[in-house]
Amino acid sequence: MTALGKLFRTTTFKLTLVYLTVFALFAAFLLGYFALNTRRLITEQITDTVNAEITGLSEQYRLGGIRRLVVVVDNRARRPGSSLYLVTTFNGQALAGNVTALAPGILDNPGWTETVYHRIDEGETSEHAAHEALVRVFQLPGGFRLLVGRDLDERERLYRIVLSAGRWSVAIVVVLGLLGGFLVTRRVLRRVDAMTETTRTIMTGDLSGRLPVAGTGDELDRLAGNLNAMLERIEALMHGLKEVSDNIAHDLKTPLTRLRNRSEEALRTAKSEAEYRAALESTIEESEGLIRTFNALLMIARAESGQARDGMSEFDASEIANDVGELYEPLAEEKGIALKVEAQTPTKVRGNRELVSQALANLVDNAIKYAQPAGTGANGAIPEIVVRAFNEDDRIMLTVADSGPGIPAADRSRAVERFVRLEQSRCQPGSGLGLSLASAVARLHGGELSLQDNNPGLKSVIALPRGGPVQSAG
Amino acid sequence: MPTYADIREARVHGRMAEAQPDRVTMRLLVIEDDRDAADYLVKAFREVGHVADAANDGEDGLAMALDGKYDVLIVDRMLPKRDGLSVIGTLRDKGIETPALILSALGQVDDRVKGLRAGGDDYLPKPYSFTELLARTEVLARRRRGRTEETVLRVGDLELDRLSHQVRRGAEEISLQPREFRLLEYLMQHAGQVVTRTMLLENVWDYHFDPQTNVIDVHISRLRSKIDKGFSQPLLHTVRGAGYMIRDGAR
Repeated sequence: MTALGKLFRTTTFKLTLVYLTVFALFAAFLLGYFALNTRRLITEQITDTVNAEITGLSEQYRLGGIRRLVVVVDNRARRPGSSLYLVTTFNGQALAGNVTALAPGILDNPGWTETVYHRIDEGETSEHAAHEALVRVFQLPGGFRLLVGRDLDERERLYRIVLSAGRWSVAIVVVLGLLGGFLVTRRVLRRVDAMTETTRTIMTGDLSGRLPVAGTGDELDRLAGNLNAMLERIEALMHGLKEVSDNIAHDLKTPLTRLRNRSEEALRTAKSEAEYRAALESTIEESEGLIRTFNALLMIARAESGQARDGMSEFDASEIANDVGELYEPLAEEKGIALKVEAQTPTKVRGNRELVSQALANLVDNAIKYAQPAGTGANGAIPEIVVRAFNEDDRIMLTVADSGPGIPAADRSRAVERFVRLEQSRCQPGSGLGLSLASAVARLHGGELSLQDNNPGLKSVIALPRGGPVQSAG
Repeated sequence: MPTYADIREARVHGRMAEAQPDRVTMRLLVIEDDRDAADYLVKAFREVGHVADAANDGEDGLAMALDGKYDVLIVDRMLPKRDGLSVIGTLRDKGIETPALILSALGQVDDRVKGLRAGGDDYLPKPYSFTELLARTEVLARRRRGRTEETVLRVGDLELDRLSHQVRRGAEEISLQPREFRLLEYLMQHAGQVVTRTMLLENVWDYHFDPQTNVIDVHISRLRSKIDKGFSQPLLHTVRGAGYMIRDGAR
């Protein structure tokens, strides 16, 4: 593809051509209309003048006969810039006037004619070109004929001026239009080419590339800006994906290694059936843990991708708080922890009841896991976990507050990031993905999970917009 | 407390009836395209005393199920030739109401809803444990044999009145929390059958997720302390590696 050919195929250039044609046609039409009208106007003026003169002269003839008419005509004919006059007898002999060399037969037809003539004072020489005139022949009583006319030079000159102005302006419109179109097209093409080039680099794998933004705020800039924002998101997602796969690799490979080691050890050292059985049982247990982790990972991935938005309906968050509290209360009691639920009603919210329950259950589960055992709390008091559900502005809040060791402030924001797990939590039993899952569920609903200081302990807060997720969120 | 290992042993030694007295032989059809998985299931079901056949694709499965001789169908969700949901849908259209349990690698809530809506009676995500599958299959089979909606459930000298919400053991009135009542009600409805933790979580709490810690165990031990404490004959048994069973041990 040649550079010029490419230029001609651009949208900008095609648009330029269309506009150019429209403008040129318009200019031609305008000037043509103007020229024709001017000409018509001048012709009208001429006929008016001629008619008036004929009326005047025939009046003179009526008053003073042919003699008076001849005198008046001679007088008028000598004035500079005069009209054209000719008075003849019935057989065509000129009596007075200032024109000669009329086309033959003109005088025989009374009425209007356009004709070529020579003025008498110029003579019939070749250096003076024939003039054109609009004349009217009038039959006077007594066989005399009167011809009055006006020169048409002025009219024709004006007409020619307008026409040539028209030609020039159309030519200038076309030239300037083409030039402008070419320049604009080239400029746009250059920027689009630069974008294409960058996109190509990005497609080959360098996600850090960004499209050039000219800073003019035009539509190309906005396009580039949006594409850049998209690239930003893609890069973040890719980064997240890498982190996720690293974490998944860790979360799945560690128990797999353990499983394999135990099986190998059993093969090597087990002597009795009971020992084999114990090894198999621990293998099943380990694989159950693996399945659990795998399910949690899948769940998070689904929530993250927004696939679980289908099953949303309205429910009361206080019911969830009560149900989850009721589910975990015996477990907490067994561990010497007091689990309390403080739920405000109504706390209606739109979302996936099952997922929100699971998220809250995970938070409570975490709180119980990390709470200090009985008697070791402050002043030997019974440690407490409080589950709350309440309205705040246009959100509903589900909070779980414990008096355990908490999470250091520096780690808190990191802990709720996608799939990030703090080192210490990796050593705890369970899939350890509870916070990630709760966070993913909150984001799925257009809300968020935040961790706060409970002085002492940790307060996990799920904030959900009451109306459910806005479709564009995420 | 019989475990499945005990049950297997009991069967091997011809003492099946002793291990689980009210177990009735079921006729099962396993529709599963993975031959290994199908063979494993058939073998495992036969080992515990049931009769099981296998079909390896949807068309075969449908043809066999149309005979209607089975107590429970175990249907894989994704099958060659004919999808598992379509097999169940076709059966239901023809008026065959054999209970069907759907096995699926898609363990999500909406997939389960889809499966149940298509006419499935229960849904078990893969990978499953055989004990879980067996427990659920037996519950389905018993439902097929018809369970009258009795208002008073009885196991041994334990009595649960579903209308007045009263529970008594012998002459003693037992006071239960609403959730404990529903837990006991579910266990007693399935008296003599193994009920897994997941089944309890699904049917008593209506949760379909895994609560990480075994919260159910604590609820059970609370319930046990209320109905069994102080009585010489325990009724609520733990089936190791499977779940729980309420049963009159004196029979």
